[in-house]
Amino acid sequence: MIKRIITLTASLSLAACAGYTDINIGVDELAEARAAIADAKTAGAERCAPKLQAQAVASLYWAGHELEESGNYDAGDHAEEEAMLVARAVAKAKEAKAASKGACMPEIIKLSGIQFPHDSARLTPAATAILDNAVKTLQKRSTIKVEVAAHTDSSGSNEYNLALSERRAASVMNYLGTHGISSSRLTSKGYGESQPIVSNATKEGRTANRRVELRVMN
Amino acid sequence: MRITLLLFTLFAFSMPASAGMFSTIDERANQISTQLEGNNSYHAHLARELANIAVEEKGQHDVTAALEFIRMAESHADQAGGAE
Repeated sequence: MIKRIITLTASLSLAACAGYTDINIGVDELAEARAAIADAKTAGAERCAPKLQAQAVASLYWAGHELEESGNYDAGDHAEEEAMLVARAVAKAKEAKAASKGACMPEIIKLSGIQFPHDSARLTPAATAILDNAVKTLQKRSTIKVEVAAHTDSSGSNEYNLALSERRAASVMNYLGTHGISSSRLTSKGYGESQPIVSNATKEGRTANRRVELRVMN
Repeated sequence: MRITLLLFTLFAFSMPASAGMFSTIDERANQISTQLEGNNSYHAHLARELANIAVEEKGQHDVTAALEFIRMAESHADQAGGAE
């Protein structure tokens, strides 16, 4: 009986064991890549050059895995691949750092499809459905702070458009705030017609320019 | 004894398998790709990169590494917050 229990326990333990461990990226061979990535991060690469920085970090982890797999940090079977991955991590991190110099555009969370009635900041049922998704996104990304940025097309005077966009931005911010997003994470700003994304010459262009978006501020 | 052990092991695996808990690496990578459509944040990009590595490792028959990388990818996908 005891033998059976031991055998069963052993077999269950083996079956349950996934067998993976965290990848070690703390070894000396990866010091240059780690330093380059840390440098880029300090320069704001995660926000300003997210793809390049992600490629650098992924290469670092992959190199760490290859180093572990070779079992010999000096000259394993994977030495060439390791060297290539380390070089890629360093190169991508340097590119990310370079791309982060100076002012970079903030990450934009688009709220595609939000439309307001004419001369109004009232939210339609279609708009609130879109904002409910935005609430979920902000709840998942609980560390980010966002600016609600509203834009108009070029119809009407500058002053009128600026005031209207400010009311619309405030309306959206208020909705997010009353649906569980802390006010400390939210600001709002109306940009009027100052930042079109396409020409205002056509109806389609004006529709595209009338928009609300969330700008990630950290 | 052997038959009992075999049946027990099969039973232990049959429940999670029937519940769809043994998704393949490719399925999980595809799910990450779908989940992050339109999301260009750092964590979203990193999740995609790590998922690609997982698929590559699986292609080289290193299932342990593939599982580790896909787990990391899913963790970053969660931090990225899904599609936008």
